[in-house]
Amino acid sequence: MTRVNKYTLYETVAPLIGFLASMIILVVIVIIVGESPAKAADAVWKMTFSKTARVATILSTAIPLFLAGIAVAFGFRAGVFNIGVEGQYFFGGFVGAMAGIYLPLPAWLHVPSVVFFAMIGGALWALIPAILKVARGIHEVITTIMFNSIALALVNWLVNGPFSGLAGKGSLEAQTAHIRPTAAFLKLNAGFRALGWDVPDSVYLDYSLIVAMIAGFVVWFVLFRLRVGFDVRAVGTSPDVSLYAGIRVKRIQLGAFLASGALAGLVGLQEVFAIRGFYTYEIASGLGLDGIAIALIGRNSPVGVVFSSLLFAFLKQAGYGLQVYTKVPNSVIYVITGLMILIIVVTNELVSRYIRALRKKEAV
Amino acid sequence: MDLNTVLEFLLKGLDTSAPIAFAALGGVFSEKSGVFNIALEGIMIVTAFAIIWGSIMFGSIWLGLAFAIILGVAMAAIHALVTVTYKVDQIVSGTALNILAFGVARFLSQNVFGQETQSAMNPYAFPSWHGISVFSLLLIPITALAWFVLYKTVFGLRLRSVGENPESADTLGINVVLMRYSGVLISGLMCGLAAAVLYPSRWVSGMTGGRGFIALAAMIFGRWDPIGAVAASMLFGFADTARINFESKIPIPSQFVQMFPYVLAIVVLAGVVGKAKGPAAGGKPYEKGED
Repeated sequence: MTRVNKYTLYETVAPLIGFLASMIILVVIVIIVGESPAKAADAVWKMTFSKTARVATILSTAIPLFLAGIAVAFGFRAGVFNIGVEGQYFFGGFVGAMAGIYLPLPAWLHVPSVVFFAMIGGALWALIPAILKVARGIHEVITTIMFNSIALALVNWLVNGPFSGLAGKGSLEAQTAHIRPTAAFLKLNAGFRALGWDVPDSVYLDYSLIVAMIAGFVVWFVLFRLRVGFDVRAVGTSPDVSLYAGIRVKRIQLGAFLASGALAGLVGLQEVFAIRGFYTYEIASGLGLDGIAIALIGRNSPVGVVFSSLLFAFLKQAGYGLQVYTKVPNSVIYVITGLMILIIVVTNELVSRYIRALRKKEAV
Repeated sequence: MDLNTVLEFLLKGLDTSAPIAFAALGGVFSEKSGVFNIALEGIMIVTAFAIIWGSIMFGSIWLGLAFAIILGVAMAAIHALVTVTYKVDQIVSGTALNILAFGVARFLSQNVFGQETQSAMNPYAFPSWHGISVFSLLLIPITALAWFVLYKTVFGLRLRSVGENPESADTLGINVVLMRYSGVLISGLMCGLAAAVLYPSRWVSGMTGGRGFIALAAMIFGRWDPIGAVAASMLFGFADTARINFESKIPIPSQFVQMFPYVLAIVVLAGVVGKAKGPAAGGKPYEKGED
C-alpha cells in the first residue's frame, strides 16, 4: 500500500468509529429505558428495510436532507458557517411558491422557473448576513440565527396575510393558494418500476430527486473541477494564506455564502411542489440544523453528504420505528446525532495527530 | 403613568433581561479565555429542564438549582474537553452540543414526565419580590462580581491573557488549558443561573427561544465586557417587555412584533458595533510549540 493510500484509509476511520460508537450508545440507552435491544432492532428494521416502500421512503426523506447538507457543506468549504439554511429554505420555498402560483408558464419552463426562484429567495435571505460578514466582520453564526427567527415570523405573516389562500376554504392551517399544475413536481415512481424497482405510488420520489442530483453534481464540479472551486477551498482552509496568494477572499466568501443560500432555497421544493401543492409556514422545520449535522458527518464533501444524508434519513425512520413500537422516544435520534458528531470530530483529531507523528517518524 | 407602573415596568424588564444577561456573562468568560461558546442555547435548554426535574426530584428549588448548575457545568465540560483538549473547531462542537441538548431534554422529559414537550408543574419557587424572582435582582451584584473577577483579580488577568495571547501567557507560566477550562465551565455555571430566572415553574420544549443566541449578540454588542454585555442584554429585555406591554395597543401584525428582538439584534450588530474586536486568540485552539 502506498503512503498516500494508507493516510486516506486512516482518514475514513473517524466517521466509521463515530457511527459504530453511537450505535453502541443507542443500544445502551435502549437498555436503560428498559426495552429489549431485540425489540428495538425489530422496530428499526420494520421502519427501514423490511419492505421496498420503506427503503424508498429513506431515499425520499434523504432528498431535502441532502440539499440542506450540501448547502451547509458548500458554505463550510469557504469558511462560511451558514446556520441560516433554516430561514433560507422557508423564504426560498415561499418565493418559489409565488412563482408556482402566479407565473403562467408551460410545464417545461415552469418547473425550472420555480427552482430558479426558490434559489433566488434562498440567496436573498443569505444576503444581509453575508454582507455583514465580509464588510463588518460580524460572525455569521449569530446573524443567520437571527434571520431564521425573522424568516419564520415573516412567512407566517405572508401566508396569513397578503398571500393567504384560505378564503372560504374552511381549513384551519394558513396556506397560500394552490400552485399551478404546470409547476407540480411529478413522481418518478413509474420510471423506477420500469427499471425494475418496485416502488409503490405512496412514496415521493419526484422531480426534487433530479434537482438534488444536479445540485450535488454542480457543487462537486465547481469545487473540484473549476478554478473558482480551488479558490473556495483555499479560502476555507486558510483565509490568510489565500489573501497572500492573491485570492479575493471577501469576494469568494460572499459568493459562497450566497451560493449556500441558493442551495438552501431548494430544501423545501419537495414538500411544496410534490407533497402539498401549496406553501404553508408549517412545512417541515429543523432541516437547517439537520443539514449542519449532515455536512459535518459527511465531512463537507458532496460524496460524503450523499452517504450522511442517507444515514440521517435512515436514523429518522429508525426514530419513528422506535417511537411507534417501543418505549424509546424519537428524540433519542438527536442525542445520537449530537454524540456522533462529537465522536467523529474528536476521533478525527486523534487520527490526524497520529498521522502527523507517523509522518515525522518517516521523515527522519 | 404613576410611580408604581414605572417600578413594575422596570422590575419586569429586569426579570426579562436576566436570563439573557446571565448567559451573556457566561459567554464573556468563555470568550475572554479564547473559546467561542455557541452552545449557550443548548446548555440553557438542559439547565432549564434540570432545574424543574431536580426541584421535583429532591423536593427543593435550591437543590434543583444546584442540579441545574451541575448539569450546565457538565455540558460546558464536554465543550471544553472537545475544544481545548482535542482542539476541535469550537463552532462545530457548540453546534453538536446544541443538537445533543435538544434531544437530551426531550428524551429525559419523555422518560421522567411521560411527555416529550413539557414537564410536570414545579410546585417549588424561589422567594420573590414584587412578583419577580430574587435571582433577577441578584443579577446586579453578580455583574459587579463578574467585572471585579475579570479585571481586578489575578485569575481574571490570567483568563484574559490566554484569550489574547496564549503563547506569551504560556511563556509566563500560566496554565493555558486550565484557564480555558475555567472560562468555559463558568459559562456552564452562568447558564445554570439563567435557568433559575427563566421560568421556574414548568419546562416546555423551546422555552429558551433562542435566548442563548441573543445573549451572544448582547455579548458582542457589549464588547466582551461584563457590564457592557449585561447592559446590552437589558436593551433586549426591556425592548421585549415594552413589546409585551404595548402589543395590544399598536396596529402592527403580531408577527412583526415577534421579529422585533431579532431585527433589533441585527441592527445593533450592524450599525453600532462596526469594528468590534473580540479577544485576539478567540476561536483558535492553542498549540504548544513543541517542534
